[in-house]
Amino acid sequence: MARKRSAAYPIVFLTLVVLFSVVALTLVNEVTEERIAANKREAIKQMLAALFPEMADFTQDEESGLYSLFDASAVVTDEETGETSVLSGSLPIGYAFMTDGRGYGGKIGILVGLEVDRAVRGIRIISHQETPGLGAKITQLSFLDQFAGLSTGELAIRRDGGAVDAITGATISSRAVAEGVVQGIVDMTAALEAVGEEGP
Amino acid sequence: MSSFVKNLTNGIVRSNPTFILLLGLCPTLAVSTSLDNAVGMTGAVLFVLLTANVIVSLLRRWIPNRVRIPTFIVIIATLVTIVDLALQGFAWSLSQSLGMYIPLIVVNCIILGRAEAFASRNNVRQSVADAIGMSIGFGVAILLISLVRQLLGTGSLEVFSIRLFSVPGLADNPASIFLLPMGAFFVIGILLALFRWMGVSECE
Repeated sequence: MARKRSAAYPIVFLTLVVLFSVVALTLVNEVTEERIAANKREAIKQMLAALFPEMADFTQDEESGLYSLFDASAVVTDEETGETSVLSGSLPIGYAFMTDGRGYGGKIGILVGLEVDRAVRGIRIISHQETPGLGAKITQLSFLDQFAGLSTGELAIRRDGGAVDAITGATISSRAVAEGVVQGIVDMTAALEAVGEEGP
Repeated sequence: MSSFVKNLTNGIVRSNPTFILLLGLCPTLAVSTSLDNAVGMTGAVLFVLLTANVIVSLLRRWIPNRVRIPTFIVIIATLVTIVDLALQGFAWSLSQSLGMYIPLIVVNCIILGRAEAFASRNNVRQSVADAIGMSIGFGVAILLISLVRQLLGTGSLEVFSIRLFSVPGLADNPASIFLLPMGAFFVIGILLALFRWMGVSECE
């Protein structure tokens, strides 16, 4: 540190460090990008399969993010690559989308599955930061299963006039889930109408 | 050899990063709600602290004094991003469970603090010892806090979905306050007092 250096040395040094960092990150990104995308798609597929066990593959509308789910009869497998794709013009067996509710600890990411007739098939909590032991109980199936088959009017906790029993001590989290689902259905109205028009 | 051991044990008790140096309390308070979180955070801290200490120590003769902090931050942020991307690409399930802790490490002052206070002034060997010792010290501290918070807050002990035991009476009606932020302050305050009372107050 005692050695004399030019006044520009710190600038040159820091620039080099940043350049090195950029190169390293670009390389790592190059190597991992495709794998991460594939892993994410696989993770989404597993989440969707939890709500629709008969699902074989899905497509996603890029604009709205709405998933259309298809069963095995609509899916073809490329014999060479092993990749699957959905036959164009097939009828979906259901729809799903991601939405979020404003919970006690931040955003609650919710996956909502809809039947072809737009009734709720089921919901899953994808991400949340609710309090463990209290709000975190929203991930329990005993709470989530209540949403199956409900229509928009019933999608609220009992205190708000709906059909969902809130978790004891976690009204805010429970309400956030119900409101998130309703908001998601509202947000998806246009996209759901668009896929409906392509249908029968 | 003795200085290696000394630097290693230094971080565990005498200069425990959490209880004595009071470094990195923000992530410690935030994630110490369960033992699983504590284990995940400790592993991530160990990896980043070790690599950051080694790199800073290797570069210490060339790092200009005036821009040393920006240099440390660039190095640490790069390492954390690499870890994050690598985990997402090659260990998806692990990255899902560690998810939120990886970015939290950038703001963990233990890493920056040790780069500044130790690695930039000592050789690689000693810096490795310091990184391991500090990580163990951090791990012991956050595990202790998590143990108390999880036990009192949920009434039972569960590690990676395996239920070890539950306290009769407390499990049905747990003191959830310990899982809330104020509970974290209670626990860490009492543990700090306990450490001081036991005479562990010698600072570097």
